[in-house]
Amino acid sequence: MTQERFITLVKAEQESLRRFLLALCSGDAALSDDIAQEALVRAYVASGSFRGLSKFSTWLFRIAYNCYIDNVRRVRPEQVPLEDRAALRVPSGDATDASFRYQALYQALDRLPEKEKSAIVLFYFEDRSIREMADILQIPAGTVKYHLSMGRNHLKEYIRL
Amino acid sequence: MNEKSIEEFLRENKPAVPDDPTFILETRRRMSEVEGIKGEVDRQRRHGRIVLIVTLLTGLVVGALLSALVMLHPTLPDVFDSEALAHVVAVLQPWKYYLLLPVAGCAIALGLTLKIR
Repeated sequence: MTQERFITLVKAEQESLRRFLLALCSGDAALSDDIAQEALVRAYVASGSFRGLSKFSTWLFRIAYNCYIDNVRRVRPEQVPLEDRAALRVPSGDATDASFRYQALYQALDRLPEKEKSAIVLFYFEDRSIREMADILQIPAGTVKYHLSMGRNHLKEYIRL
Repeated sequence: MNEKSIEEFLRENKPAVPDDPTFILETRRRMSEVEGIKGEVDRQRRHGRIVLIVTLLTGLVVGALLSALVMLHPTLPDVFDSEALAHVVAVLQPWKYYLLLPVAGCAIALGLTLKIR
């Protein structure tokens, strides 16, 4: 795959990819963009092995998800209290309702296990099918449905508006 | 929150991605760096391959010269002050023509391996 072809495909996916990682990183835009760039480099290096068996977007998201998981394993989030991290991620215009909603959402997502969080983000924010989610998360479709259901149940408890 | 309202809440609150025109520029920069690293790795691989081929050819030429020397000067073992070595050379003497065959075989195998890689 040529550099220009790769860039063209990335341009079409960048917003979705960045939103996926932004939600996984609970609104930390700098961290999510760093992971996105790392994922794109990994994808570019491996682009020769992309056989088109799945959609480019699914393949790219799988790499991005693996980068995110690597990052989670490298960095210990317990080092910073949840409230402090969430406070850093509230979008500008803090007094608005949207800011409070985002804060509540990110804090709730932060409390979910990684698989549940990823399932929720892919399904509700990226409108991915169960099959695509199974490809991205590298787990069976039944397990995806289980994580999605558990994630929803947990969010019902965590989100208080 | 019930099931329906949590689903509505999630769908209505998709995170907004901050617009960043430098994102693709940064991607291009990193890809150029990757290309640079790839080029350097290729260069080093080519260099290693050339060194290997030169070593192989040198070995073949030296081997061929030594074989020729042995064939042209059958009394050469006399110059060595070692009976054991002279004995080995004497044993190998009738097989001298066949000794080049495994050497050539190795050279061809190595050549094919390098070509495949």
